[in-house]
Amino acid sequence: MIETNRDKLIEMAVQGEIISPSSISYRATWDGQPKLALGMGGIKYNLRVGDSCFGWASGDHVEPGVTIQGKERPSPSECALALFACIGNEARVVSGEGKGARGVFTGRHAGSDDIVWFGEEDLEKLAIGDKVQVKAHGVGLKIGGYDDVRVNKCSPRLLESLGIEVVDGRLVVPVVKEVPGFLMGSGIGFWPLVEPVDYDIQTTDPKAVKKYGLETLRLGDVVALRDQLCINGRGYYKGALTVGVIIHGASDYSGHGPGVNPILSTKDGRLGTRLEADANIALYLGLRDKL
Amino acid sequence: MIRTNKESLLEVALIGEITHPAVEGSYMTAWDGTPMVGMGRGGIVYNVKVGDPCFGWAWGEKVEPGASADGIGKDREKGAFRNLSCIGNRVKVIDGEAKGEAGVVVGKRGYVAGGGHHVVIHFEEEALEKLAIGDKVQVRAHGVGLSLVDHPGVRVVSSSPGLVEAMNLEEVEGGIVVPVTMEIPADYVGQGSGGSPVESSNWDVQTQSPDAVTALKGLKLGDIVLLRDILSAWGRGYYEGAATVGVVSCGASSRMGQGIGVSVLMTSRDEGLRPRIDPEANLMNYLDLGGERE
Repeated sequence: MIETNRDKLIEMAVQGEIISPSSISYRATWDGQPKLALGMGGIKYNLRVGDSCFGWASGDHVEPGVTIQGKERPSPSECALALFACIGNEARVVSGEGKGARGVFTGRHAGSDDIVWFGEEDLEKLAIGDKVQVKAHGVGLKIGGYDDVRVNKCSPRLLESLGIEVVDGRLVVPVVKEVPGFLMGSGIGFWPLVEPVDYDIQTTDPKAVKKYGLETLRLGDVVALRDQLCINGRGYYKGALTVGVIIHGASDYSGHGPGVNPILSTKDGRLGTRLEADANIALYLGLRDKL
Repeated sequence: MIRTNKESLLEVALIGEITHPAVEGSYMTAWDGTPMVGMGRGGIVYNVKVGDPCFGWAWGEKVEPGASADGIGKDREKGAFRNLSCIGNRVKVIDGEAKGEAGVVVGKRGYVAGGGHHVVIHFEEEALEKLAIGDKVQVRAHGVGLSLVDHPGVRVVSSSPGLVEAMNLEEVEGGIVVPVTMEIPADYVGQGSGGSPVESSNWDVQTQSPDAVTALKGLKLGDIVLLRDILSAWGRGYYEGAATVGVVSCGASSRMGQGIGVSVLMTSRDEGLRPRIDPEANLMNYLDLGGERE
């Protein structure tokens, strides 16, 4: 078992509201077709963590479950919810018919959306505009003896459920797939902050999707990104390794695809991976019995 | 001479104004966590010109040569300024002490803090001395819709007809050979991915990983480069076998995922664009920028 500083972490409430989906026009796909997309924002009744990233009719950047946004600043990406909430944190509905329902924070989409899982019965009670409060717990999390490994957006609960083993001094993390760094697209370079931003595994070259086996990716999968460093921003660094969680689905917009929240990153060679088909947060956090 | 549809292009006026440099109120965070104040982006940069190096400016961060302008008015008007301006277009200062002075568009840049975009403009020294932040500039936009008649697979983006004709393009079976100073692998290509439309903003070639810095250190502002496996047709992204030709429009960056700016000039999904290495492939040699640089 790895050692962490979890007993030193501050646990605090952050809040957001369930937002409406929004759509103002067609957008051009990578090959020049107009697309009216859905799947971002609002309440998705039939899209859950663990489902496929691909194949949803007219879906683009689909976000599983419920999408909320912080409201205390003009930009949701600057709100405490975006910066402090970590994957695996407990969420609770604090207004409306669904008041009291408990959920789990499952990721942040840089487009401005914070994503929360709720059970099916609770989803039926929720309304756009309801307030959701998250017990933010994980900012500052460190792994003892591995100060070079940046932990991000990762609750102690998730970190401890990842199945990390120490092998020859390296933290070996089960992942469903390793993705070459040159496939990383939208979100790269945005801001020096890693907390509020995901970035996309590009799925707009059909040949590359096939060549690298991306079509099997699921929402919630844990993946490794080769030659990618996410300690103060996101980008290319030869020899670096980043482990992240897929938080939204594929895209037809050039340079876009399934979004990844980095959770572990280092350039110093002390992270490793082991392929594991079931490395998915839906299982780790008890959101599904099986995939 | 390569055949184009230039007789069919509309030529329209756009208005913008010279920007003020915009730096963060707090220190910016470099990729390795170092705090710094980055400068050289936006406004009037007196001592950096097309042809100068991308690296080595003290606390320089995405240094833009000459002067930069953004659109004025509402979002749509600003959109017209950045989307319709083309590299090589003529610019005229229309108020202030520099009224009547002429410049040339040499770059287009996005991802400026606060949602700004820069059209980077070369002015000769005397004009630069007279120019003031806030002066209005009018761009004679000419190039949107430009196509290469015999190469329908090549999409021309934000290039003036004059630039396309000056680039020494060589037509070969099934494509065009483009003189470039460097061919850059997709591994190094960073910010800009996912951006749309391709007429606004730019690609960044990342300058943090030591191998990338070594490979890119000779690049100069104004260099024509080819981005391998990068498609910039209806948005910017990776596409195996594709190529994007662009012009280096700003210097290196210390921020993760960011770096040397490349404004798109043309792109092809297949083998339509092929590089030929030519150290002289620079805007200095293609556009009338006045005077010789050392």
